[in-house]
Amino acid sequence: MQPLVLGIETSCDETAVGIVQGRKLLANVISSSVEQHARFGGVVPEVASRAHLEAMQQVIAQALKDANVKISDIDALAVTAGPGLIGALLVGVSSASGLALGLNKPLYGVNHLSAHIAVDALDNDEKIQPSIALLVSGGHSSILQVNNLASDVIVKGATIDDAAGEAFDKIARIMGLGFPGGPVVDREAKLGSKDAIAFPRGLTHSNDLAAHQYDFSFSGLKTAVARYLQQTPNYKKADVAASFQEAVVDVLLQKSIAACKESGIDNLVIAGGVAANSRLRELAQERCGAAKIRLRIPPAGLCTDNGAMVAALGSLAISEGIEPSQTGISADSAAGISQVIW
Amino acid sequence: MSTVLAIDTSTSRTSVALIAGDKVLFNEFHEDPLAHGEVLPVLVAKAMKLNVGIDLVAVGMGPGPFTGLRVGIAFAQSFALGMNVKWHGVCSLDAMAALISEKDFIVSTDARRKERFWARYQDGKRVNEPQVGKASEIEKIGVKIFNEGDYFPDPVELAKIALTELSVDQPIYVRKPDAYPLPANVKFREFTQLDLVSAVAMEKEIYGKAGWSAAQFKEEFAKAPKNAHYIAAEIDGKLIGYAGIFYVADVADIHTITVALEHRRKGIGRELLKRLIDWARTRKAQAIMLEVRVGNEEALPLYTQNGFTEISRRANYYGPGLTAIIMRKEL
Repeated sequence: MQPLVLGIETSCDETAVGIVQGRKLLANVISSSVEQHARFGGVVPEVASRAHLEAMQQVIAQALKDANVKISDIDALAVTAGPGLIGALLVGVSSASGLALGLNKPLYGVNHLSAHIAVDALDNDEKIQPSIALLVSGGHSSILQVNNLASDVIVKGATIDDAAGEAFDKIARIMGLGFPGGPVVDREAKLGSKDAIAFPRGLTHSNDLAAHQYDFSFSGLKTAVARYLQQTPNYKKADVAASFQEAVVDVLLQKSIAACKESGIDNLVIAGGVAANSRLRELAQERCGAAKIRLRIPPAGLCTDNGAMVAALGSLAISEGIEPSQTGISADSAAGISQVIW
Repeated sequence: MSTVLAIDTSTSRTSVALIAGDKVLFNEFHEDPLAHGEVLPVLVAKAMKLNVGIDLVAVGMGPGPFTGLRVGIAFAQSFALGMNVKWHGVCSLDAMAALISEKDFIVSTDARRKERFWARYQDGKRVNEPQVGKASEIEKIGVKIFNEGDYFPDPVELAKIALTELSVDQPIYVRKPDAYPLPANVKFREFTQLDLVSAVAMEKEIYGKAGWSAAQFKEEFAKAPKNAHYIAAEIDGKLIGYAGIFYVADVADIHTITVALEHRRKGIGRELLKRLIDWARTRKAQAIMLEVRVGNEEALPLYTQNGFTEISRRANYYGPGLTAIIMRKEL
């Protein structure tokens, strides 16, 4: 019998609990405080932290119910220990520590970024390592070479300014589309033309490539969109959204596929909240098909922050024989991808 | 006879006790305002080594600095779930007051931001809901005050209270979640002529054609320092926000509070507003007024949370179809 792992995620505004058995997904429950933040155009840490504490026990109870297991059946706990908002992380880490001690079961503090990639292993028996991973979310945009997710991840490139998801939020805010920006821009873009406006592709010029082959920059794009909106009184929102989205997605895929080719790895995993973007998914299929790269993108519901991904990484740690975390782990708001298990 | 595990993280101290009836089996604390998350599981694990069955988990529900407070509550609730026992919330100040045998007194703990959480006790009973306020205001009440440091919420007392009183099920926050931590590198100073170019560029970027020109700016802050006050916010020498207020005939009028798009939601606007209000007070203004565009969702909560209320609306104030809400705060 594979171990039953309960994973807790509270790094931002989703209070999420997932339960997995080995690689099998049994429950994935999410309570979001996103509506409380919408009026601020971004996540307010104290509001998110309060909402986590308020929702936690109910979310755990619902996950147990969905998985049809009792709390005493759980074999191990996993929790996002970083990166993320420190006050928000602490609610999850403290809840998980309490459960682990109350149940007398091991606890694995895990990296949020690695967990986004680990979720790909759920309900999937294929061997996917080594792979190139494009990790794109509200806080991160990077290209990684994943030789072993639990122990050997090389950062090939990352954003030098805004994360892709952040760019979506900012553009949505300037155009008054709402928050969070990812889904609203995606929806608006479906009504417009991706070729209407030629927005810049950051760090793709040959003179940038020398120093930033696999790095991203979205701040110039953001400025270009803002300038376009100012100079074009009767702009069409849908065209701006579609053209902006295309510029982001194009660069993400250009660089990911180049990384696959250069390293001779023909697996590409796209993970993180932005991987839920429909245009990114569509264009990735197209280009990976043409380049003969095997593409894997988790189902959209598992791309945004969730507890199943945390449980999946905990489960992977167990199968790799990694020692559980010590009692009293420190949440680390700025943890890098190299710290996979605490 | 019940065995109770009691936890409190509402002060700089993380405290854990285990009691069985009148016997204290375990009672330890660790002093560190930033380490509740790391310390609490270690102390509880140590108490668990005594290997006694636990019937109830008691936890201090505050008031206290939010992040540390939540560590104790989140841990206690989940620990109880894992142990398959109930948890019971207690007002942390009560667990501190229980150590004091005076007829009429106040206990007070650090609320950060130069304020204190406090409650008053008479004849062994708390007579008000926990409050937050300045030390000078609490002193005015004129009864003996016991501060955090003289005493701390005591986990043994907390366990005893849990066995006799109704559970407090919600965290006692007292303050609304308006605590935006300011970035450490923001500096506030007087706005000068040298800021004009940057400010006009920001106006243009943020407000488009409705933004102020250099001439309009000059005209307004020429009234400073006597009748106007203009403040700049900068990071590493770069202007990232500014605010101005004009005062004449008892009522001060806020002209602008502007923060660069990429520096919003960091508490800079809040700090600028606070400084404008402080200045208006020094001028003995009786009220402050401002206009805000209907639909400016980012700014409205800032004003309402700071005591501004809508007094009227002016149609087409910002251009055709753009209504202004006129707000006022009495000083």
